Amino acid sequence: MIKIERHDETSNLIYFLTPVIAIFLTLVTGAIIFYLLGFHPLQALKFFFITPISDLYGLSELLVKATPLCLIAIGLSFCFKSNNWNIGAEGQLTFGGIVGGGVALLFYNHEGFYVLPLIILAGAIGGMIFAMIPAILKIYFNTNEILVSLMLVYVSKLLLDYLVVGPWSNPEGFNFPETRQFSDSARLPVLFEGLRIHAGIFIALFSVFLAWVVLFKTYLGFQIKVSGLSLKTAKYAGFKGKTMILLVFMVSGACAGLAGVGEITGPIGQLHRMISPEYGFTAIIVAFLGRLNPIGIVFASLIVALTYLGAETAQIFLQVPKYTGQVFQGMILFFLLASDFLLFFRIKFLGFKKYEY
Amino acid sequence: MNTKLKVSKVSKIYPGCIANDNVSLDFESGKIYALLGENGAGKSTLVKILSGVINPDEGQIFLNNKLLKLTSPKDAKNNNIGMVFQHFNLFETLSVFENLSIDSEKNNDQLRILVNNILKKYNFEIDLDVPILNLSAGQKQKVEIVRCLLRNPKVLIMDEPTSVLTEQETEDLFLSLKKFSNEGILIIYITHKLKEVLSLCDEVAVMRKGKVVSISRTVDEELSSLANKMIGESLNKIKKITSNNLSGEKILTVSRLNFNSEDPYEVNLVDINFTLNKGECLGIAGISGNGQNELFQVLSGETLSNSGSIKFRSKEISKLNPKERREYLMAFSPEDRISQAAVPSLKIYENVALNNFKTSNFFEKGLFNERKIKDHSKKILSNFSVNTDNVNLKSQFLSGGNLQKLILGRELITSPELLICFNPTWGLDVGAINYIHETLVKINEQGKSIILISTDNDELLQLSDRISVINKGKLSKIMSADEVNTEKLGLLMGGGLVD
Repeated sequence: MIKIERHDETSNLIYFLTPVIAIFLTLVTGAIIFYLLGFHPLQALKFFFITPISDLYGLSELLVKATPLCLIAIGLSFCFKSNNWNIGAEGQLTFGGIVGGGVALLFYNHEGFYVLPLIILAGAIGGMIFAMIPAILKIYFNTNEILVSLMLVYVSKLLLDYLVVGPWSNPEGFNFPETRQFSDSARLPVLFEGLRIHAGIFIALFSVFLAWVVLFKTYLGFQIKVSGLSLKTAKYAGFKGKTMILLVFMVSGACAGLAGVGEITGPIGQLHRMISPEYGFTAIIVAFLGRLNPIGIVFASLIVALTYLGAETAQIFLQVPKYTGQVFQGMILFFLLASDFLLFFRIKFLGFKKYEY
Repeated sequence: MNTKLKVSKVSKIYPGCIANDNVSLDFESGKIYALLGENGAGKSTLVKILSGVINPDEGQIFLNNKLLKLTSPKDAKNNNIGMVFQHFNLFETLSVFENLSIDSEKNNDQLRILVNNILKKYNFEIDLDVPILNLSAGQKQKVEIVRCLLRNPKVLIMDEPTSVLTEQETEDLFLSLKKFSNEGILIIYITHKLKEVLSLCDEVAVMRKGKVVSISRTVDEELSSLANKMIGESLNKIKKITSNNLSGEKILTVSRLNFNSEDPYEVNLVDINFTLNKGECLGIAGISGNGQNELFQVLSGETLSNSGSIKFRSKEISKLNPKERREYLMAFSPEDRISQAAVPSLKIYENVALNNFKTSNFFEKGLFNERKIKDHSKKILSNFSVNTDNVNLKSQFLSGGNLQKLILGRELITSPELLICFNPTWGLDVGAINYIHETLVKINEQGKSIILISTDNDELLQLSDRISVINKGKLSKIMSADEVNTEKLGLLMGGGLVD
């Protein structure tokens, strides 16, 4: 007989160990999948996880991918911690990209030190405003923020589509669905010659630090935590609950907007249809893998970024589709949730026992 | 046909605590059995075993000499064991009728007729199409009882059903239970209220620390003998001496307070007027669901009333939120200690930080001053004899009594001028109730004022200087506690008038 019981006390160690277990299980399952596909499992895993970061260029690429993931996940952690389910970071990223990109296009033949800060600010505000839509609807009409924020993703993506094909498309671009290249002043500086790693990483790291201080050391962070656990208690304590909802969505949207603007002013340098390989959705995995903890999120973003790179190398060397990366991301989340179950429940093997009648 | 239920050598062990230790009991229909014990004595565990919610580590249960295998609540249902739990198992957002129809095989029309018959038969006043979340605790409990009755149970187990009912409601319930018993349903009544055992039950089994310590007929018992068996020590009863030398200094003035809820199922407060003197305890009695919740929320600032309606000393406070009211040294202890007054998954010191105002300096310049809060929490734990000294313990591991001590301690350690508390002792065991009553008397003696909203009339009569009754959102005239008795209260609570 097997019996499942609820644990009462969970230790902090296990709490932060389960993501490691999840990653380990992902690797094992990944190896099995590769084996079934007819590859040497260890060889394949090496292509997937080691080869991509075995040179400086690879490491730089890792950080380029981890930067937006980390930024978005940091923002999402504010929402998730306070029980606000913002699933639409991808949309906020896109909208931030649109607004920031719009400003960048205004200055396309303009140079000046003030251009870049303006663009970044515009992107953050754009993402913020876009995230305020589900928040305000939730506050005043009690709508479900999961649905609203998710649906808004498609709104912003279609808007971007329209803009790069129509009004904002490059007049000298032979009708390619993309805008002009931004001016040099509108680009985030590259850190090392020949590598794509850019100054956006400092924005991400600064946001990590700021988030850690706010979440763990301030009254605001305490209010977020309490509101997430019990709105009734938050009300009783006199916290302003509605303001809190708006605030966490604004933080989250601003972070996603920053990630969007970081992409277009960093590696991309213009607006086109594909400014994000679904960073906004993947960041949800990053946030949970990192236990909604700013430091945890840094590590989680690196690991998940690696699945993006691994997918590319695997595509080249093993001729498997790049969607293998998403398979790995999915497996990480799956195993994380599964090991969370073990965290809060325990399975007891009782053996077989016969009752006497 | 006679129903016999036999519990044979049942044990259930949790890490660090033996919830049931070799418990054996025999029940037979036609009688009402009491299972008496303090919180944590193991009553609820036994009940959960009988209803299939948890499985015993050892022991068996027989119904009419047939071994029952109760591995899930469904098994209990199939064996006609009905169950009303202390904590409600209802879907808050669904209507009463939807809740009832979930586990019913009957079609809706039939079911509605059936439910209406039951409501009529036992005088339960419940609107079937109202969402559960808009019901008072007392009404929710009735829904649970109706749900059981729908299944024609052979055995009906009631787990502390009166902890939220008023006296009148309790009497009605007892009449109903006696009726069920006469109809041949075996009734097991779990409680820690001694009076109820004597007035309702035929036989009583007393549990202490997981063991059955005594089985006897209630005619052979009296209050004191049961109390001693239950807690294993004798206790002294508190009666407040009504103080005559009140200074007459007004602490709180409520005048022409009206509150119209946007929620049609909440009670509107109509023209509430009273003043509260320094050092006085004003009791507010009433049947649950007559506006107590709304009154508490309006007084605490969780919801706002018309402007000019509440004055603290001479300051107008009716538009301030709870945090701002705390600045005036008001303190609040809500009815729902588990999900409102504290967060179970937070540590003790974090729960302490919920009562935060400027002078407490918990958050200097917006930063969390952990050391200060922890020192403060330690003081609360020792001053209010909470059964732990570990401020890092999650509050969910505190028993109801200790949690309430922590909450009251948190509210009182700042020496507030006014404490507003709502059912501060519901669901607690005798020892904890005693402690809390003592505390409330003590702060009155220190010249602090109390508004005590309660559905427990004994408590009100013990502690109040003056008493008023709330009925359908209206407050009766305020009477001196000396001129009030249970009968008079009951009349007013039911909407009657007294001169």
